[in-house]
Amino acid sequence: MSVLLELENVEVVYHHVATAVQGVSLSVPDRAIVALLGTNGAGKTTTLRAISGFLGGDNARVVAGRIAFRGETITGRPPHEIARRGLVLVPERDKVFETLTVQENLAALVPRGRRLVTRQQIFEYFPVLAERRRQLAGYLSGGERQMLALATALLCQPDMLLVDELSLGLAPVVVETLMRLVVRLRDELGLAVLLVEQNAAAALAVADAGYVLEHGRIVYDGSVQRLLVHEDIREFYLGVGHRADRKRYTDVKQYRRRRRWF
Amino acid sequence: MLQALATTLVVASLYALLGAGYVLVYRSSRVLNLAQGDLLTLGGYFLFALAAAFPGAPAVSLPLAALASALTGVVVYLVLMRPMAGHPVFAAVLVTVTLGILLRAGIVFVFTDRTRHPLQNLGLTNPPRALPGGAVVSTFDLVMILTAATLFAGLFLFLRLSPLGIQMRAAGEHALLASQRGINFHGVFALSWALAAFAGGLAGMIYSSNVRLEPSLDVLGLRAFAVALVGGLDSLAGVLPAAVIVAAVEVLSIRYGNPLLSDVSPFLCLLVMLLIRPWGLFGTREELERV
Amino acid sequence: MALGGGYFKTSHEADLAVVDTRLRRTALAVLVLALLVLPRVASSFVLDLASQAALAAIGALALNVLTGLAGQISLGHAGFLAAGAFTTAALVERGLASPLLTLPATALVGALLGLIVGIPSLRLKGLYLALGTLAMHHVVLYVAGEMQARAGGNTGFTIPPPALGSLVLRGTVGWYYALVLAAALVLVLVVNLQRSRAGRAWMAIRDRDVAAASVGIHVARYKLSAFVWSSVVTALAGTLFAYQRGFVSVEAFGFFLAIEYIAMIIIGGLGSALGAVLGAGLVTLLPYAIDAVVAALSPGAADYYIFPAKFGAFGLLMALFLVFEPLGLVGIWRRVRNWFLLWPFRHRPLRAS
Repeated sequence: MSVLLELENVEVVYHHVATAVQGVSLSVPDRAIVALLGTNGAGKTTTLRAISGFLGGDNARVVAGRIAFRGETITGRPPHEIARRGLVLVPERDKVFETLTVQENLAALVPRGRRLVTRQQIFEYFPVLAERRRQLAGYLSGGERQMLALATALLCQPDMLLVDELSLGLAPVVVETLMRLVVRLRDELGLAVLLVEQNAAAALAVADAGYVLEHGRIVYDGSVQRLLVHEDIREFYLGVGHRADRKRYTDVKQYRRRRRWF
Repeated sequence: MLQALATTLVVASLYALLGAGYVLVYRSSRVLNLAQGDLLTLGGYFLFALAAAFPGAPAVSLPLAALASALTGVVVYLVLMRPMAGHPVFAAVLVTVTLGILLRAGIVFVFTDRTRHPLQNLGLTNPPRALPGGAVVSTFDLVMILTAATLFAGLFLFLRLSPLGIQMRAAGEHALLASQRGINFHGVFALSWALAAFAGGLAGMIYSSNVRLEPSLDVLGLRAFAVALVGGLDSLAGVLPAAVIVAAVEVLSIRYGNPLLSDVSPFLCLLVMLLIRPWGLFGTREELERV
Repeated sequence: MALGGGYFKTSHEADLAVVDTRLRRTALAVLVLALLVLPRVASSFVLDLASQAALAAIGALALNVLTGLAGQISLGHAGFLAAGAFTTAALVERGLASPLLTLPATALVGALLGLIVGIPSLRLKGLYLALGTLAMHHVVLYVAGEMQARAGGNTGFTIPPPALGSLVLRGTVGWYYALVLAAALVLVLVVNLQRSRAGRAWMAIRDRDVAAASVGIHVARYKLSAFVWSSVVTALAGTLFAYQRGFVSVEAFGFFLAIEYIAMIIIGGLGSALGAVLGAGLVTLLPYAIDAVVAALSPGAADYYIFPAKFGAFGLLMALFLVFEPLGLVGIWRRVRNWFLLWPFRHRPLRAS
């Protein structure tokens, strides 16, 4: 299986002085769903934004490392170029154009040459959008917005999706529906997906492999089976399992500091 | 009475052309282009220079002058406004002021500040026409009204129906999201500046053929920004009624007041609007600031 | 002021002090001495230039308080200057030319005007406020223009030099001392305002007025007080302007003058008193520098080239600063200073400077 997206030792710095992520390496194979887990402030969104491109005005920069899509280096390219290569981001917030109707949102994009998904297929995947065609996107509910965001991302004819916090603010039923949809998209359209999620259970239910990001570094990775049996992941990300003698976060083995004598 | 109506329509058309320029730029760069008046003047001088270079050939000079105006808009965006992308709005507005200063200085440098009349070189005349009902307007007055109407119709169709127009609206709302959807918003913004400069240039060409051409015409631009604000800075639809209102106030104050008052009347309209409804007739209400 | 190291403040007063290090005290003393001694060594042309710069600095400092400190963007600054100058002219017309009368009257007019212009700021922000002030500026000029058309004989009003009893202020040296003293007073006032409760309230309003209101700052009162303070000082500057020139006419107060003042605080550095003074100096000197450059490069150049050259160079300079160094001259100064202070580190820690 070929590797579609590859990050090597990527380091992102904000405002010249604040390092957000450091030494991040991950890879997403073709037709795979990879989960990127972490708590708030771990650096997940920063990683996604680094992959999908920073705008000139942002105060963020990739200062080290390499990001490659299908073997070609895309570090530091502007967002629209990266989207046109087939790597499309579904952002966490500000995901639709609120002053445009649903129909116009579906037209406000520049697709690649490759015809992968048609408008008709989009309305089959998301029937609710067909009903709300002429409605202003600003008046859609949270779940509908997420669907519109996914739909527009698909209409860009991507090879891979970067999905940032799919489940944020959505009811569990809706989250389940959307996750199943992601699997369907992978199976029917051959898309690879990098799924950034705080909701680790939902993500690991559909992913093939996962990475865990903490304080800007990858601390664990592996197949989903490997992740699901790890004690710390079960306790801190999945909320299952509870060893009676571990009362605090700092009791966990990785974070124990050796006592220094100077 | 009918004459006043006719004059109002002519003045309103001029303001509408300029107002369209303000709105187009505001929707893309979120900036009030205080150099729009100087773009009008520049359009007039392009026409003058081209008419002098190709005397008696309006079919060549007119389109070339319009094209030159549009290209100026693109250059202005690429050189001046694109680097200002991350900066605060206030700074970007001041950059447009400096652009106006530079344009004006350049015009005086090349053409001196003598009053010019491009019509002579074009080989066209501007005879008065009688309208039904007894009002009299000049040919170029009618041209102004027609141009404004055509431009607005074209812009509406473009922005509502064409894919590029939808992309322009999307990029104007949220540039980053548009970029993530593959839209090169720099190209789209450059286009909106080109359209704005085109509209201003057309207004300048018609005005300078109709009345006169001199470097101080940029005051018309300052009066027209009141129109853009009264209509709503991000609403093309609002420009039309606003232009009629401001023009009507101005024409009436010339008739029943004094000339100095008519100079300041657009600003009085602006002040009234700012106090009772700052977002204009059809503009979007400024979002409540998040704490 | 954050310094590299070695200066530790041990009391609240020390922390608040404006001139805190020995180097700064020495520098200040040298500056004061130089200013006092300048008339002995400089030509009257240079003195005139310095006087103009000082007068511009007063206006720039006032505008800086309003726009840089309180964050209320005002494009109508020339209107306040005009109001001051024309109030003086009106009083002179009625035979009340003494500065004991004109100065308080101007202050009052300035305060009233500031109140009126400030009222939109309670509802408007940012761009809309700037445009509102611009519109107000045109209205003020209209009123001044009407006044001039009716009374001033269409070209303007002549103003006699100010006299207090038998003391008459005239001559380059006299005006130099008067204006530099006035500028110094305003500078001290502004620096103290920055450290005062009002200054902190203004800065809070500038950064996030909704949050400022939520911590108990009376936003409306402080916004209006910023306008009033700024317009009073500017109107007084307008009076000084009228007295020094001896002539008042509405043409001198066009939109370009307002832009000049904005340029002063932008080029100098928004929000900084030092920036306002530096910017005022640079903008005042610029036309003369261009004259010198043009004369050196092409002597005898046609007059009509010089005006657009000045105009254009001014615009170019402002554009360059806005695009490349939005923090102005003060920003450049701070970067140079930080390079020396922080070496071998390259960046200051993240905190508002």
